[in-house]
Amino acid sequence: MEDFKPIISECIAGNQKAMAKLYHQFAPKMFGVCLRYAKDATEAEDNLQDGFIKVFANLKTFRNDGSLEGWIRRIIINVSLEKIRKQHLLFPVEDVSKYDSVNFSDDVIAKISADDLMKIIQELPPRYRLVFNLYVIEGLSHEEIAEEMSITKGTSKSNLSRAREILKKKVQENFGEIRAQNNYTA
Amino acid sequence: MKENKNIEELFREKLQNYEQVPPAYILENILAASSVNSRKRKIIFWRVAGVAAALLLAFVAGWQFNAQNGQDVKQVTVTSHDTANKPGHENVSTSETSMLAASGNSNQNQNISRPEMSGRTNIKETEPNYLASNNNEVFKPIKSRSAVIQTGTESAVQLRTRKTNEVTSKTIDQQIMEQNQQMVMAQLSEKEKGRWLVGAQVSPVHNVSNGSQSKQYASNMLNSESDNPVDLGVGLTVEYKPGKRWSVQSGVYYSGMEQTSGNSTYQGSKSSLAADHGAEYLNTKVNVDAKTNKISMNSSVGVIEFSGVPSQVVIGNNIEGSSLASAVFVSDAQFTQSFEYVEIPLYVRYVVLDTRFDIEMLGGFSSNLLVSNQTYMQNSLGESLIGKTKDMETLNYSSTMGVGFKYELSKRFFLNLEPRVKYFLNSLNSNESVTYKPYSIGVFTGISYQF
Repeated sequence: MEDFKPIISECIAGNQKAMAKLYHQFAPKMFGVCLRYAKDATEAEDNLQDGFIKVFANLKTFRNDGSLEGWIRRIIINVSLEKIRKQHLLFPVEDVSKYDSVNFSDDVIAKISADDLMKIIQELPPRYRLVFNLYVIEGLSHEEIAEEMSITKGTSKSNLSRAREILKKKVQENFGEIRAQNNYTA
Repeated sequence: MKENKNIEELFREKLQNYEQVPPAYILENILAASSVNSRKRKIIFWRVAGVAAALLLAFVAGWQFNAQNGQDVKQVTVTSHDTANKPGHENVSTSETSMLAASGNSNQNQNISRPEMSGRTNIKETEPNYLASNNNEVFKPIKSRSAVIQTGTESAVQLRTRKTNEVTSKTIDQQIMEQNQQMVMAQLSEKEKGRWLVGAQVSPVHNVSNGSQSKQYASNMLNSESDNPVDLGVGLTVEYKPGKRWSVQSGVYYSGMEQTSGNSTYQGSKSSLAADHGAEYLNTKVNVDAKTNKISMNSSVGVIEFSGVPSQVVIGNNIEGSSLASAVFVSDAQFTQSFEYVEIPLYVRYVVLDTRFDIEMLGGFSSNLLVSNQTYMQNSLGESLIGKTKDMETLNYSSTMGVGFKYELSKRFFLNLEPRVKYFLNSLNSNESVTYKPYSIGVFTGISYQF
């Protein structure tokens, strides 16, 4: 694991070269995170900017015993969540415990680029986008998501299933060739 | 073989490690904002340190300035009355202190004027270049443009109309930025509005004696007691806040001040008078005016002038003395010189911590008008008004320093707690032999209303 101690010390001391270096190391990955949580690139840029300002302001609180990337990622996600909380009213949706799972063949997958998927995910309603990201990409449980977003576990589950439905439809519309399979419970 | 993947796996696989290089200007903004934050922290530190230093300097300067004028011998206890036989007077003049201190006040007051509000200036400087600006005040509205559009406010409707009709050649972003700029300007102009606060305060005030006398005067003086009674201070305040941090306060305060003096136990050879009245008697010499028969007696505040001879008191010739002027006052009485002042202060206040619970520093000067001057005697018969203190200055000047704690009860009402120290810059008595410049310590509590 790379030792960030010296560069962190430099950043805390206000060395702008060190700050730029740290930024360049993590910004592309964190911008990817921001894009997933934001509704568009502009919002993602804002979140990235706010997130890194927070990172540099709080760097002195980072204990070197953990992963720096994980710490920065947590800040970036928190900033993104906070932004959505502030800007949108998150209405609960009905519980959908079962739905048709759809599998995609490698041929279809090969046609779909990450940028395409990013665009689709950005079109999701804010709450679905949040739950989908936290559950599927960050690997949080419904319990953790419920706590994070101050919602019930059931709501988290129903949001996820709804997000899946919408994404499935979008992928189907854009890239076709899907095959329905057995039921799946969230 | 074709591997089937469900929707979650599809997104996870493609997006989990997705990376994209962000636009270059973001780094510039981050670096600039970080340096601004760091500068702000430094500025706040220096501001607080500067204000504290200025207030301390003003307080100490006033003290030193006055101390230089009083070269008298510090006196705490009466040693003996043998010195009464020494010829001549060794008085040291200190009466000019009051006027010097008065003129010094106004100068110092002007020196503690408000510095420029740098926070406000910073924001203004960033306005023309708000997109690349590093100031959070400017960023916040820009970032929340979605919320602005969705709220259905008048400005949002305007924006939508413009977008639909394409009335102007400006892009939506430009329009949003303009709206944001207007919002920032509106917030700034809101902040720029001065605020008035009125309030009422009450405090227990403890007076701490501080003074000096000429040797001749001190040799025939009552013993001052350091444990003076706690008096009451009440006041109405008016405060004007032109900005977020600084404010100027004035008002009207009433405050009482008392000095107690006790018996001076006879230490020398016992006289027949002492034997008759026990070991403890007031052996302080008194002067009796041959024409008016008025009795007067020295105290640390000034000469007490009796309006008559109090009951249960014996005025007798001093055994060691030979004339009427060397009479002694024989009693076990205690004297309280009571003064009441109306104070018109001018304080400068600075908000050190601006939250729901504010912490402020305050300092300034006051004019104190003497409105009551009475002297009481307490003995076995109780308390009686016996006269007043001569030569008391009607107008006096004092400096004050304190810390204010302000709790926001509601948007307009505040609860205040202010420990303050007040120091008189001039001697309260114009007698050349006496310099009396007490401190008073008070904890003012009260409520203020902002409008």
